[in-house]
Order: sequence, then C-alpha cells, then structure tokens
Amino acid sequence: MPNSTLASSEGEVRGRLELGISVRGGRSVGSRQFHEGALRVLRPHYLDASGQVCYVMVNPGGAYLGADLFVIDVEVEAGADLLLTTQSATKVYRTPGSFAEQRMTIKLGEGSRLELMPDQLIAYREASYQQNSRIRLHPTSSLVMAEVITPGWSPDGAVFKYLEVRLRNEIWIEGTNGAKLLALDNLLIRPPANNVTGMGFMEGFSHLGSVVVVDPRVDQSLADELDQIAKDFNAYTGVSLTGTLAGSPGLVLRSLSNSTEELNNLLGACTGVLRERWYGQAPLNLRKY
Amino acid sequence: MPAPRCPPRRGPLPSSAPTRSPHLRQCALSAEYQLALQQLTDSALPTGAFAHSLGFESYIERELVGDEGSFGSWLHAFIAQQLTYSDGLAVRFLYEGVELGFLDSVLSAQLLAREVREASLKMGGRLLEIGGEVFPSAELEAYRGLVRAGLAGGHQPLAFGVIARSLGVPFEAALSAYLFATLTSLTQNAVRAIPLGQNAGQRVLRQAHDAVAAAVDDVAQLCWDDFGAVSPGLEISQMRHERQRARMFMS
Repeated sequence: MPNSTLASSEGEVRGRLELGISVRGGRSVGSRQFHEGALRVLRPHYLDASGQVCYVMVNPGGAYLGADLFVIDVEVEAGADLLLTTQSATKVYRTPGSFAEQRMTIKLGEGSRLELMPDQLIAYREASYQQNSRIRLHPTSSLVMAEVITPGWSPDGAVFKYLEVRLRNEIWIEGTNGAKLLALDNLLIRPPANNVTGMGFMEGFSHLGSVVVVDPRVDQSLADELDQIAKDFNAYTGVSLTGTLAGSPGLVLRSLSNSTEELNNLLGACTGVLRERWYGQAPLNLRKY
Repeated sequence: MPAPRCPPRRGPLPSSAPTRSPHLRQCALSAEYQLALQQLTDSALPTGAFAHSLGFESYIERELVGDEGSFGSWLHAFIAQQLTYSDGLAVRFLYEGVELGFLDSVLSAQLLAREVREASLKMGGRLLEIGGEVFPSAELEAYRGLVRAGLAGGHQPLAFGVIARSLGVPFEAALSAYLFATLTSLTQNAVRAIPLGQNAGQRVLRQAHDAVAAAVDDVAQLCWDDFGAVSPGLEISQMRHERQRARMFMS
C-alpha cells in the first residue's frame, strides 16, 4: 500500500492537541485532553441544552509559518457529541522553501457526532499549506464539516499569491472487515503551476467553500434540498452524493464565491438545516469577536 | 520557489513490459500490441463514451463553451486537471503494481461528483466485458472476478490499464493512448452538442497533442497525495449537471 499521508513530513511539531470526548451524566465532556506548544483549547462550553460540548481551538501564535507542523488527534466516544471550532481564522504566511502543515486524526465511535466548523483558512503571499485529515467513522456516527479557503491580501491587491494550498480529507467507515474508504476529498490549488483563475478551475472566483456530511440519514432528497438552499446565495455551487458503505452515505457541497461572508452564510444555512432537523438545535451562532 | 513535493513513487515495471528488450524485439512486440491498442482506443469501441460529457455540458448551458476556442480551453483544463490527477495517476499506480482492488476503491472514493463516478463505472464495466471477449488474460479475469464478487467497482482507467498491460503496452504509450482516446470521445461529443464542424473538432484534437504529452510528464512527477486532487470548477460543474434540465448526456 502506498505511503500514508500521515508519515511524510519533515516539519517540527509546533503544536499538538489531543482531545477525547465521552458522555457523563447525559452530556458530553472532555475526558482526555493534552496539549503542547502552540495549540490549546479554551474552556469547553455548552451552546444549548442538547448536551453537545463545544471546544474552541486556539493557536496562540496566531499564524502558521514555514515548516510548522500542527498535530491534532480527536476521539469522540460512543454516544458523545462534539462541536469543534477555532477562535479565529487560520492564517498561513510566507513559508519560504517549505510548507506549514496540519495533520488531524479523528475517530468517531458508535452513535457519536462531530461538527467540525473551523474559521476560514487565509493563505497569504508565498504561503504553502497542507492540511491532511483522516477521519474514521463508526457507520452509526455522524460527521458534518465545513471549510472556507480565502486568498490573503497581497501588496499589489492581486489574489492567488499563495504557492500551494492542499486540503486532503480521507473519510473511512468501519466495517466487519476493517475500515473502508468512503470519500477522498482532495483539494489542491497551486496558483503558480496552473492558471487557477479561469474556466475549469476557480471559474473567476476567489473563495472556495466545502461542506462534507456523512450520516446514515443522508439521501438524494437532502442533496437536492441543499442545492435549492444554495440558489439563494451569490455563489456557484454543486452538491452530490458519495457512494454508501455499511449503510453510511456521504454528501459533498462545493461552492465558489468572491466573499468569505457569503460562503459562511451559505455553509451556515446548510449546516443549520441539519442541526434543526436532526437534533432540534438552532443554527450555529459562534460569537467570537 | 515551489513547495517541496513528495518524491515520485518508484515501482518496478511489470515484467511483461518490453521496455528493456533489445531494439529488434521491441519493434516486433510494438507491432504486436499496436493493432490491439488501436482497437482498444478506437472511438467506435462500444463503451458508451458517446453518452458522457464529463461536465462540459454544464459549461454549454452557462454559455461559457460554445465554439472551437472555448471548448478547446475546457478540454485543456480537463486533461491538465481531472484526467491527469485521477485517471492518469490510476493507470500509473496500476503499472507500478499498487494493488488493483485498493486503487479501485480509492477511485470510487475520490470521484465525488456522482455522475462522473457512475460514468467511470459504466464505461469500465463495458470495457471489462469487451476485453474479456477480445483480449482475455489472467489479470483481466482477476479484475472481473473482483467486480463480480462486489469487491471492486470496475473503473474505466483501471480496466484499460489492466488490458494494456496484459498486451505488453509500455506505460507511456498506454497512458498517451488512453488520454487521447478520452479527448477524442469528448471532442466528438462536443461536435454534436455545441455543434462544431467536423474539421474544427480535428483542429481541437491536433492542438491537444501537446497537452497529452504534458499530462504524461505530470503523471510521472506527481505523488500519491496528489491522487484524486480536483479542480473545484470542473467538479462543481459535474455536480450541477445532475440537476440540469435540458441535456443530451448522462454526465
């Protein structure tokens, strides 16, 4: 088998975070927590009465620089429910001759749930960034993740001055004969190597948003519904279903726009539908400012 | 300066590949596989490729593709992105000996636009069937067995790669032929759909020769983590095609 993504970096570990969530007394709590270097979490809080615990990741350094490696390991145990977000945008500055990297490993136990809602990624001039996430789900667990990539400001006002952004998500579903790969969501934007602005790539847009949902309740009518919702936004959006493994299908929404706010609103509207319908929760309103 | 990349994977060439053979033997062998490769890549091979636009029909609806120049631009984006990062790398990893069932599952996982995933499986299924009748081999039978047992889906680039490799076609020749055959089918479909003149279609194809050579070079340089990297624009257009009202194509 080819080399795993997770074994291939030369950067030194600038920050490490480990988080285990389990259920105690009817609500989800952090039962295991470890951090070192430039990564930590704020005190957990509860946004509603659902029992879902919210953890906010903080990078006290504020930015990712060359050869920085951040390692995040999250396990949501059986029945537990985690909302994981960030305190502010992930900013990647110049990474001369190297790249910044985040490696995330996530394991979702039986009947567990993760909402992974980081702030946008901003890649500045001469930045190279790789984000590798390996997510392993029990077929009864539920994953919703949303991401936005924004080009950072450059002195001449042009967008796409970064060198490379790679967001690679592997989603595995556990089965009787080991885990199988449900979805490989591999975004690679290399502005110097391709003309990324035009037709067939960014289609004239500058910002990119994605939502990935893996849940036994995902079906074609949900995909069609999210597609309808997306029509109300000033963005170019597609929605499609992945295959199904062990009764667990996935849904991918991909959207291009010229505004972080527009994409955040679109992604929030879509994830809001799922929160309301599946959990009776209000749309997410993270006040971080 | 470009970001450091993971090194290209090196794998043994299959023993059946005649690249190490003396010149005369190579000529004799290349003559042997040449006709087979032509038959395999002929646009008349009934895989159903005439029914798939792989997303360009969305661009026609948006009026971004409507003539020879704009279709050529789309075709160049398509070969430099999706055909290189998905199909092309699949053929390379197959030739390098990566396990077929695993490659098949990664292709199913990375083709996130449903219609394109189904197109690859549909055309792959036809190719496996035709190959079983006209170019039978133990390797092909093994792949068909995996598909019958539900352990693999049966994707087009892998079905092609298995057959080409069993015929002794060297990797680069096989990849170029596969890529150009795909472009030929798409161009013929564009000639009907846009429509373009037949000669315009031929000009588009002639201008794609360099893009095919560049794609073969890129495929050799890329690494495992690049496998399945998508261009968001192409992918969104392929997803939107699912809900397009007036359409000629299944994808």
